[in-house]
Amino acid sequence: MARLRQFVLAALGVALCSLAIAAIRALFVTPNLSTVYLLAVLFAAVTWGWWPALLAAVLAILSYDFFFVPPTHTFNIHDPAEWLALLVFLTVAAVTSNLAARERARRDEARRRATEATLLYELGRSLSGGELASALQEFAARLMEAFALQGCAVVLNEGQHRPRTLISVGAAAAEDSAGTVLGRPGGKRRHLGRWIAVRGSGNSRRPPTLSVPLHVGERPIGALRLVGRRVISDDETRLLATVADQLAAALERERLRQAAQQAEILRQTEGQRQALLASVSHDLRTPLASIKASAGSLLTPGVDWSDEDRRSFLTTIDREADRLNRLVGNLLDMSRIEGGVVRPQADWYDLAELVREVIVRLKPSLGGRTVGLECPDELPPIEIDYLMIDQVLTNLLENAARYTPPDSPILVRLAATTGGQQIGVVDRGPGVPAAERGRVFDKFYRLEPRGKAVGSGLGLAVARGLVEAHGGRIWLEDTPGGGASFCFELPAPEPPPPAPVLEASEAQT
Amino acid sequence: MSGARVLVIDDEPEVRRALRMALSGRGYDVQLAANGEEALAEFDRHHPDLVLLDLQLPGLSGLEVCQEIRERSSVPIVILSVQGDEPTKVRALDLGADDYVTKPFGIDELLARMRAALRRGGGARPAGQAVIELGDLRIDLERREVTVRGQTVHLRPKEYEMLRYLAANAGKLVTHRMLLRAVWGAEYEDARPYLHVHVGQLRRKIEPDPSHPIYLLTEPGVGYRFASPDPAARPS
Repeated sequence: MARLRQFVLAALGVALCSLAIAAIRALFVTPNLSTVYLLAVLFAAVTWGWWPALLAAVLAILSYDFFFVPPTHTFNIHDPAEWLALLVFLTVAAVTSNLAARERARRDEARRRATEATLLYELGRSLSGGELASALQEFAARLMEAFALQGCAVVLNEGQHRPRTLISVGAAAAEDSAGTVLGRPGGKRRHLGRWIAVRGSGNSRRPPTLSVPLHVGERPIGALRLVGRRVISDDETRLLATVADQLAAALERERLRQAAQQAEILRQTEGQRQALLASVSHDLRTPLASIKASAGSLLTPGVDWSDEDRRSFLTTIDREADRLNRLVGNLLDMSRIEGGVVRPQADWYDLAELVREVIVRLKPSLGGRTVGLECPDELPPIEIDYLMIDQVLTNLLENAARYTPPDSPILVRLAATTGGQQIGVVDRGPGVPAAERGRVFDKFYRLEPRGKAVGSGLGLAVARGLVEAHGGRIWLEDTPGGGASFCFELPAPEPPPPAPVLEASEAQT
Repeated sequence: MSGARVLVIDDEPEVRRALRMALSGRGYDVQLAANGEEALAEFDRHHPDLVLLDLQLPGLSGLEVCQEIRERSSVPIVILSVQGDEPTKVRALDLGADDYVTKPFGIDELLARMRAALRRGGGARPAGQAVIELGDLRIDLERREVTVRGQTVHLRPKEYEMLRYLAANAGKLVTHRMLLRAVWGAEYEDARPYLHVHVGQLRRKIEPDPSHPIYLLTEPGVGYRFASPDPAARPS
């Protein structure tokens, strides 16, 4: 249609030139005004291209011959010079219109390329923006605009039957009718090596969908679906191929980024695990070394040890065996805590009674220091796992003894709080520097500069795990006047029920 | 207890060797078994006076062996358990074991428990005494009267029952379930949550210093023990 219009306009242009020539001849006497037609021809060439220009040239010659070359109003030419003039005219018209047409074509091409480049640039920019989901939204929107689509979708092949829809905008594009994603059929090349399938008829229920496969190298990873277009030109095909490559590259980039992140996490975890294993290995082997050395000494043939020496070696063996036992217990507790299998078997106990029993049991090993107990008169029973809270308190007391001078007193303070009951182990030692306070409850953390790091570094971590398994919390405070206070709170959401069934009659014996 | 026959059942050769040496050094006559089948065969053949049973055995489990032995006789059984294996420990005690020792154990502790168990005789058979006396505490079982330093103590019926049962099994480790069953009946076997509260109340009535009990001892996570009347062989 447009072509016809161009021809008609070209013809009109020629007619206009004829009129102009007639007018000029009326005013002046000029030999040859056929060059006026060149205006029309050139105009047609520049504006509409080669064919309209050719039509204009032919019409121009005919018009000139008919209207202005004697005999007028005929197609005959008497004067041979006129023939030459017409021939020259034709040649000039042909060449110039060719040049002009090519120029125009080049200009159109340049403009088209510029549009394409802009589109590609904008699509590329939208894909490179931060988060993939929003980037894809922008990408889809621009694509829909550029290609006048009803809808747009990107699907990813993930090895399962149905491809995963990353994004779907506008009319439903990822219909199940789409089925499998296209790959590259062997050997056949079409549209720059991409197969682009058209699905769906023209009706509104299943709009035509173009499916552009996305490739990374040879590997198909998914497809870009464009809804609402049936045919595309070669130029558009080329553009879509480039767009598809950009999209595929962006998706691949995202996949690699995630993989790199995972790898980094794994690497760090591996690093931590190695460090822990090294630490545990050292902690387990140190007491074993003492045991081995002592036993070996006692077994040395030919050496006659005094009773005192013998006793000393054996005491070492006994003591180091205890230490090893404690470490193994801590490790098992820690491993249970980390594995999430710590489930308190809670019963109603009197916390003050528990504290007293632990203090009595630990007193001999606390080095003869005074351990005081401060607690309110009537503390109601609280639901706890006795053995676990026993372990928590034991760890805190042993910790306090280990990091304070041998005659420094320790105080255990009980209190009822709004949410439950609280126990604090207060010491008057050097305290914990503020910088390290956040890390004391970490696994294998030891305050190194305190001299002999005798502990396993697990006591506080185990305490924290057990307290938190009860839904409680544990923290560290400064003792006013110097020292550290390790406190933990256990929740008591409901008061203990009065247990009516077990209180039969009130008859006294 | 010289001459008493002890059957040691443990799958670890090192443990068997160490126990044989330690026990025979104290005058015991030691028999060894490495697994359940051997143990039962030895038991039938020699009828030991006491059994030391490791709970972790290959093949026939420690619990099964305990049950088998208990069905055949009321011989005292002391089980050797691993720290942290509370459920199995309690289960064994419910099945009739008399006491337990946790590995790794001090040999003195083991010997003390063995002595106490031998003195009591095994099984859950309460002693047939009319009066139980321990320090300032006096329990008259016939008249159902409890006095501390001569002063009568008023106990609720269930409190008395608890005290009576524990005292009759003095020195023996009584699990929560055994106590609940004995005092409240089989249907309250699992009504543990309030048991400790009741024991606490009982303690407040009979102990000279309830916060440092000397009669009613708690075995955390497992049960209770009434202190043995013979101070020389009190376990712990």
